[in-house]
Amino acid sequence: MITSPALSQAAAARQWFLAREDLGALVEAIRGTGRRVIGPAVRDGAIVYDEIQTAADLPSGWRDVQTAGSYRLERGADARVFGYSVGPTTWKRFTFPPNLPIATAHKASFGFEQPAPEVPPVAFLGVRACEIAALAIQDRVFLGGQFTDEDFRARRAAAFIVAVQCTNSSSTCFCTSMGTGPEVRTGYDILLTEIDEGFVVQAGSPGGAAIVAKLPTRRPSHAEAGAAVDRVESVRTQMGEPLPMAGIGDRLKLQLDNPRWAQVADRCVECGNCTMSCPTCFCTSVIEASDMDGKSSITERQWDTCFDVAFAKVAGGDFRARPRDRYRQWLTHKFSTWWDQFGSSGCVGCGRCITWCPVQIDVREELAAIAPPIAPVEHPVAVEPVAASPGSYSIARLASARPETEDTTTLSLTDLDPAFLEGRPGQFVMIALPAFPAVPISISRFRANAIDLTIRAVGQTSTALVNLHPGAKVGLRGPLGTFWPIQEAYGRHAVVVAGGVGLSPLHGLVDALVANHDRFESVSLFYGSRTPEDQLFRDDLAAWTASKAIDVVVTVDRAGPEWKGRVGVVTNLFDMISWDCTKVTAFVVGPERMMQASVQGLISKGVPTDRIHVSMERHMECGIGLCGHCQMAGRFVCKDGPVFRLNDLGDMFNREGI
Amino acid sequence: MATSGRTARPRVAVAKFASCDGCQLTILDLEDQLLEIVSRFDIVEFPEATSRRSPGPYDIVFVEGSISAPEHLDAIKELRKQARVLVTIGACATAGGIQALRNWADHDAYRAAVYTHPEWIESLATATPASEHVKVDAELRGCPIDPGQLLELLTAVLVGRRPQIRDEAVCRECKRKGIVCLVVAGGQACMGPVTTSGCNALCPTYDRGCFGCFGPRAGANARSWSNGLLKSGRPPEEVWRLFAGFTGYAEPFRTVITELGKTKG
Repeated sequence: MITSPALSQAAAARQWFLAREDLGALVEAIRGTGRRVIGPAVRDGAIVYDEIQTAADLPSGWRDVQTAGSYRLERGADARVFGYSVGPTTWKRFTFPPNLPIATAHKASFGFEQPAPEVPPVAFLGVRACEIAALAIQDRVFLGGQFTDEDFRARRAAAFIVAVQCTNSSSTCFCTSMGTGPEVRTGYDILLTEIDEGFVVQAGSPGGAAIVAKLPTRRPSHAEAGAAVDRVESVRTQMGEPLPMAGIGDRLKLQLDNPRWAQVADRCVECGNCTMSCPTCFCTSVIEASDMDGKSSITERQWDTCFDVAFAKVAGGDFRARPRDRYRQWLTHKFSTWWDQFGSSGCVGCGRCITWCPVQIDVREELAAIAPPIAPVEHPVAVEPVAASPGSYSIARLASARPETEDTTTLSLTDLDPAFLEGRPGQFVMIALPAFPAVPISISRFRANAIDLTIRAVGQTSTALVNLHPGAKVGLRGPLGTFWPIQEAYGRHAVVVAGGVGLSPLHGLVDALVANHDRFESVSLFYGSRTPEDQLFRDDLAAWTASKAIDVVVTVDRAGPEWKGRVGVVTNLFDMISWDCTKVTAFVVGPERMMQASVQGLISKGVPTDRIHVSMERHMECGIGLCGHCQMAGRFVCKDGPVFRLNDLGDMFNREGI
Repeated sequence: MATSGRTARPRVAVAKFASCDGCQLTILDLEDQLLEIVSRFDIVEFPEATSRRSPGPYDIVFVEGSISAPEHLDAIKELRKQARVLVTIGACATAGGIQALRNWADHDAYRAAVYTHPEWIESLATATPASEHVKVDAELRGCPIDPGQLLELLTAVLVGRRPQIRDEAVCRECKRKGIVCLVVAGGQACMGPVTTSGCNALCPTYDRGCFGCFGPRAGANARSWSNGLLKSGRPPEEVWRLFAGFTGYAEPFRTVITELGKTKG
């Protein structure tokens, strides 16, 4: 019976008190209306949902202790009837039976017949908040679209719902994280909240009110009504902080290539217990049972699971051939693509998939590992930037302009606000001229009283900048963004990988590595450019080499006759690495394709992904995370970057179109 | 399956190798359907049921038992030649059976321990499934086979479609039946997660963990399951014994047994 929305708020808010010894009257009253009562009963070491004849069948005084892969019953300290949390049975067993004949066929008449659902009226006793949410999800899945499941509709309509507030939770419960509990708010005919001496009773429908009217109730005392509220609230406290589920659907979609899928699939035995115990999983298969002469057959629908090895098989092969494909299918459907299809999560946080997993896989742990919340990147900026807001600029003066290559020039800026001199390698400034829009430029070098900006003349502002004469004024905002975490390379092999003008944001880092070279196991720079003529900072490269503090290896893609050095892409240079790559901290900048190839190369050599740092380039206008241009999924490159730990980017790093 | 004519009944033979005859008895136990079966199948060779003998060729040959004795080697090949469709039935024929445990042991020592005159016993050092010797067209698993699956196979032959025999974990049958998990709620050892269904969760229905007699299901993650059992505190001997049952010689159980055999010593 679907709760009537027309029921007045006032009636719903009315409460009665039913003594525990009078609970039998409720069972009798419901049975008196011709309904079978299905409710909790102790069987085979668990509280299952089964037919209830009298209140004596109910699990008075029993408690359940649940952890991943374990369920045990024990006697509780009091006689509470509903002091357990949810058990192995789900109500879908009664709304969506595990085995259901859906058609018969007769050869002689060539007739196919669909049996009309014959559903006797029933009452579900002891439905929890998460289970009401699950029934609502089933409503959307089976009845919310163009095609509907009429058998489900009949069974759902035939069910009278006696809900029960949870007064206890298990370690596997996480309804507060999924927003489905612990309190029942809607979707019931009668609602019970169990307190010390009995139940606070509410009616949620005219049918519910009619039953309540037959019970030996009285008005609850103030203390009783208060205790009912407190009990539910204590369950919320018991469950602790909700898990960070915000954006979980999108977070999972960015992690389709996460190596954790294969790891969890190695543990998973694909028994399907999670899906069969799930109150919302709805996958089925049909089997045909014919009599021996083939004259008639019955088509039976059975609960199935997407973990089945043949579930996505066709004649030519299997679309989800690997266990990791199937685990990913399940978890992403529950928490991500379910939203796309049905407008809600497919998970209600009941925790059955955790308790009933015989190899103790906990979806909460898997979600946290596979798609952790996108936390703001915690890189303290070295110095408070000046002229942070767009439109306000700090004025600096051009000291000198030094051509690097045909189209790239290094400007030394002086007469600066001291904040710029206190910037850190990897940070950038927004630089503007009157009538020219601001552009982001990395600080390539910190000098005593100046900073260097190395600028490629590719747009209107950059062209105007490189054509300035010494003494010209420019407007600056900054220093902005994150910087290279140089201290993370202390005691390790520091490897800098640069491609083309990517050496510019790395220049200051290399200076710092050289100056502190004895703090590192080794320091190396691998630098690739298109041609020898495209190399930046040729004098500095020579000086670094001469310092012996750093191994500088350069390569070019295409060489002229003058070139005596290496030819080939920068990733080829990784073959020279002879150290234990688990002890490498790498810093990578270049064109995105080059960075992807370099990162791939470093990972394949064994460099840990949390030890690889990259600097990303995106369209920036404001530089402070307000204009939206530089967004990369959950990040703004200007304020969360431009320097990122590879792990913090996850799948975004390798995806096109982000 | 095509038969020689619309009215001609398929010629069926039932043969046995090293086995207890329990699977053959399952055929005879189909009391309610026997008359219908013999009206539709011409059972020409069935030593367990009749002393009447009839040479091949046969449309269907049901093979029970493992290949365990020297004479079996030729006999199974000859049967294959005579069979249009060869169906192995039971754990012995499909996986080697309980007797395949000798594949990990010293065969001569076993023989000497059991028989007064071991020199009179002609047996192979290994007990192997028929599929190691000849091509097998279909398998009915279990110890013994499930009468429902047998009927489904016979029906499918008559109707002319593939038998609908699912290859899924026993856990699925438990869940559909509403059996409370013996592992999670009872702490029992159970082979259900890695064993193929077909028994309708017979043992768990009677509060006993699955013995694995239907053998490994496709893609069974036997290693994770054995690790899980070990992690739950069971000694390697016990986990070894659990895998080393009726179907222990079938992969991937075989690998797990071999590995556990090394650790348990």
